[in-house]
Amino acid sequence: MLQYVTINIDGALIRAVKGTSVLDTAIEYGVCIPHLCHVSYLSDFGGCRLCIVEHVVNGRANVTASCTLNVQEGMVIRSNTERIKKLRRNLAELLVAQAPNSRAIQDLALRCGVKEVRYPFRNRNCVLCGRCVRACTELWRARAIGFVGRGKNRRVDYPLGVHPDFCKQCGACVQLCPMTITPCEGPMKPGQERLCGKCESQLLSADQTPDTCGWCKLGEGFSCGRYA
Amino acid sequence: MPKLNTFRDLESLRERLREDRRKITARVILCGGTGCQASRSRLVIEAVKGELAKQGLDQSVQVRVTGCHGFCEQGPIAIIEPGNIFYCRLLPEDAQEMLSKTVRSGEVIERLLYTDPVSGRKIQTESDIPFYRGQDRQLLSRNRELDPRSIEDYIALGGYSALVKVLESMAPEEIIREIKASGLRGRGGGGFPTGRKWAECREAPSEEKYVICNADEGDPGAYMDRCVLEGNPHSILEGMMIGAWAIGARHGHIYVRNEYPLAVKHSRIAVQQARELGLLGENLLGSAFSFDVDITRGGGAFVCGESTALMASVEGKVGEPRPKDVHTVVDGLWHKPTTLNNVETWANVPSIILKGSAWFASKGSKGSKGTKILALTGRIKNTGLVEVAMGTPLRTVVFDIGGGAVNGRRIKAVQIGGPSGGCLPVEKFDLPVDFDVLAEAGSMVGSGGMVVMDEASCMVDVAKYFLTFLQDESCGKCVPCRLGIDRMLEIITDITEGRGTPEQIALLEELADTVSQTALCGLGKTAANPVLTTLRYFREEYDAHINRKKCPAGVCSALITYAIDADKCDACGVCIRACVHGAIQGQKKQVPQIDFQLCRKCGICRSECKSEAILVN
Amino acid sequence: MPPLPIEAILEGRRSQPHQLIEVLQDVQENYGYISEEAMRAVAQGLGVPLIEVYRVASFYKAFRLKPCGKNVLTMCMGTACHVRGAKLVLDQAVGQLGVEPGERTQDGLFTVERVNCLGACALGPIVTENGSYYHHMTPGKLRRLIESLRRKEKKESQHA
Repeated sequence: MLQYVTINIDGALIRAVKGTSVLDTAIEYGVCIPHLCHVSYLSDFGGCRLCIVEHVVNGRANVTASCTLNVQEGMVIRSNTERIKKLRRNLAELLVAQAPNSRAIQDLALRCGVKEVRYPFRNRNCVLCGRCVRACTELWRARAIGFVGRGKNRRVDYPLGVHPDFCKQCGACVQLCPMTITPCEGPMKPGQERLCGKCESQLLSADQTPDTCGWCKLGEGFSCGRYA
Repeated sequence: MPKLNTFRDLESLRERLREDRRKITARVILCGGTGCQASRSRLVIEAVKGELAKQGLDQSVQVRVTGCHGFCEQGPIAIIEPGNIFYCRLLPEDAQEMLSKTVRSGEVIERLLYTDPVSGRKIQTESDIPFYRGQDRQLLSRNRELDPRSIEDYIALGGYSALVKVLESMAPEEIIREIKASGLRGRGGGGFPTGRKWAECREAPSEEKYVICNADEGDPGAYMDRCVLEGNPHSILEGMMIGAWAIGARHGHIYVRNEYPLAVKHSRIAVQQARELGLLGENLLGSAFSFDVDITRGGGAFVCGESTALMASVEGKVGEPRPKDVHTVVDGLWHKPTTLNNVETWANVPSIILKGSAWFASKGSKGSKGTKILALTGRIKNTGLVEVAMGTPLRTVVFDIGGGAVNGRRIKAVQIGGPSGGCLPVEKFDLPVDFDVLAEAGSMVGSGGMVVMDEASCMVDVAKYFLTFLQDESCGKCVPCRLGIDRMLEIITDITEGRGTPEQIALLEELADTVSQTALCGLGKTAANPVLTTLRYFREEYDAHINRKKCPAGVCSALITYAIDADKCDACGVCIRACVHGAIQGQKKQVPQIDFQLCRKCGICRSECKSEAILVN
Repeated sequence: MPPLPIEAILEGRRSQPHQLIEVLQDVQENYGYISEEAMRAVAQGLGVPLIEVYRVASFYKAFRLKPCGKNVLTMCMGTACHVRGAKLVLDQAVGQLGVEPGERTQDGLFTVERVNCLGACALGPIVTENGSYYHHMTPGKLRRLIESLRRKEKKESQHA
């Protein structure tokens, strides 16, 4: 038997299933909260911080990740204040400066309102979103890849660095990876990195009407939580 | 020793041990803490023991090897009783004279006495030394009274009587009320009201609960917890037992960083001895309370000082913090209610129980009660561990207790609270050691590490140092900490290497603000503090680096040049040999030349030059 | 003392995943580093996936994944040591031995390690070498220490 609670997201009273996260609930009801590391059928670990919202408690607005925040009766959430938009924009800016060679990351930057990148570009091929690791751990339980190292040296690797024979070749890791699809105009060579932002996607209007899912291009190839 | 089965047994043992203690009048107390060990105290201790035997004194004079006294720079330290004579900077050779003169006949050896660097006077007793005089050493003073490897010493001094009091006559709710009334706040950095934490944990419904002692002490420059845990481990055990009884826990962990081998060793001995006596295990002293403790070692990760990361580490996993929307007092170790407190917090508990909350609350300021141990280090005359009442002005700590600047330089700032804290300029030294006041000034009391800086420290370099540290220690899970700190460091490095632009300051501030609001855990959330406080109080230094491409303190190597002052140089050639980059050339007995292309301004030559002839421009 | 066999280290801890860090610490103490065979044996003995053992071994600074030199020089990089010039001492070590922190010299004699605070802050800069603490270190003192260690090694290899 499902139990329900009523929560308030941006003024709308929503019936949420007890035990689910604020992000899951928002996606279910079509409220667009940008996210990168969240995949609806995998566990959440709150790594990318794009899904941050304001959780109002005792008059104070605490910034917290909505994917790891479970719904509670009467909770008040604000997902799109100026403060949240600015924080999200800065985080997306950091991501696109780190890995501009991904259509999903470029689209996310557009969706989060990034207009300029104020850091020198780096052309990395992994943003450590952990989608691949969680798929390997939770879907097929192969444990053929995982996070290794710490801090700046954190990376995804095979056990002891060698592709194991117990890898089930399921391809889930590749399917979920945001780096596998390059930007529309082709891969960016080192020295040619830039903020894309050329396409006229619904992403630009998503900012104005975040409470209505626009079935935007972000879903294609990247599988935003709503598409899954 | 036979097991203690009742409260009566403990009291009888205590009486006997006190009697034995009273019989001994002559003692040599030697410090065996990590600091003194670094100064070879072990050799001194061996020498003293050898001399005692040689001089036939080993039956009448007791040697007590204690934990850290906190005055590490003066070690190895010895105190002779009776007479309370304080000797410092001892060598093994001094043992013979120390025993034959001072121990035998009370004759004081002048050259072994402490010389006050401010007045030049020789001082005989610890309590007369200005460094000690300004302090209120509630916790630290106990270290000289006991051998940390002896549970008998602890019991003779009244140890475990607080435990007896709570088991005999205090209900858990009463204990929590007392702790709340005392105003005790977390000594590890968070400053969270301890009583409230215990109350919340008690209310969490569960058969299984835990207490944890956080002895990870990762703040570089802080060693208070090492001192208390090494020097008086039973005080922590007793504190944890009282807390466990109050919240309903039966098991505890002491999580010690593995960089503190002596603290690990002494904790293990303490637990072993407590178990043997029946002070750990089932139905302690015949009561309904069963409790045991495990000593868990850290793996070398600053982030494991964060409570959820520490708990993950105890569970055998990587120390990656998790979100705390649900508090650890409800969902903690193994998802059970857990009360995690710092070493110093636990150590304060037995005295609060014995002397009462009113006694504790009589010290300190309105919002911060009791005493706090500070690790006073850096560019001042007296460095070491200092315990003062909360509310004591920084000025008192730095100048009265610390003795002021060294080498005639001017003190510029004090860094408080480790990498999560901030730098306060000397103009702010009237501020008190107080959780709320310092937090409002942008810094924090933190764990109590205070590093004093003078004109020779570059505040931009200090910010860079802390960012480098935090980047090294970040677990890397979340974007703001992993990428944010990286980019802040990139900007600050640009500034220290002469590539800074004014726009970068605004970007730095915005990035610092973003990281502090969006990071997953305390490490990330406070990572920006060193940057933000140095920007707030030392903006001129940033401006100098950016606008004039100069480092006023002469530290940032890209912005300085070295030159040899021919007048001061005595052509000894030491610098030529010392330079690892081959940048100094010269013939024997001639003033050498520095090749600016090769010179990396690493400073090795300057530190070797005895004539101070190498100047910084 | 010869190192304990992995079987002995796993004794009493089999199938207890939460003992992973303690077990790895014992391996590190006995062998000076965590080898691939050790990781495989621990994974099997404790019932922990190999990737998880690799993850824990690579996360904590206490564990080395490569064998270290006979003499490990650990330099404290804490704040108090830093303001007293710890960086110069580190530069001296790197320059004199020709290796980066964490690496081993060609002759296998030395490894330079950095550590973030040993808790002897009043006596900094601190360098430890196989359990002995050296305080108030300067680049010159370190140079002399390394030279004396080299001389000791040479003597030992000549006697062997």
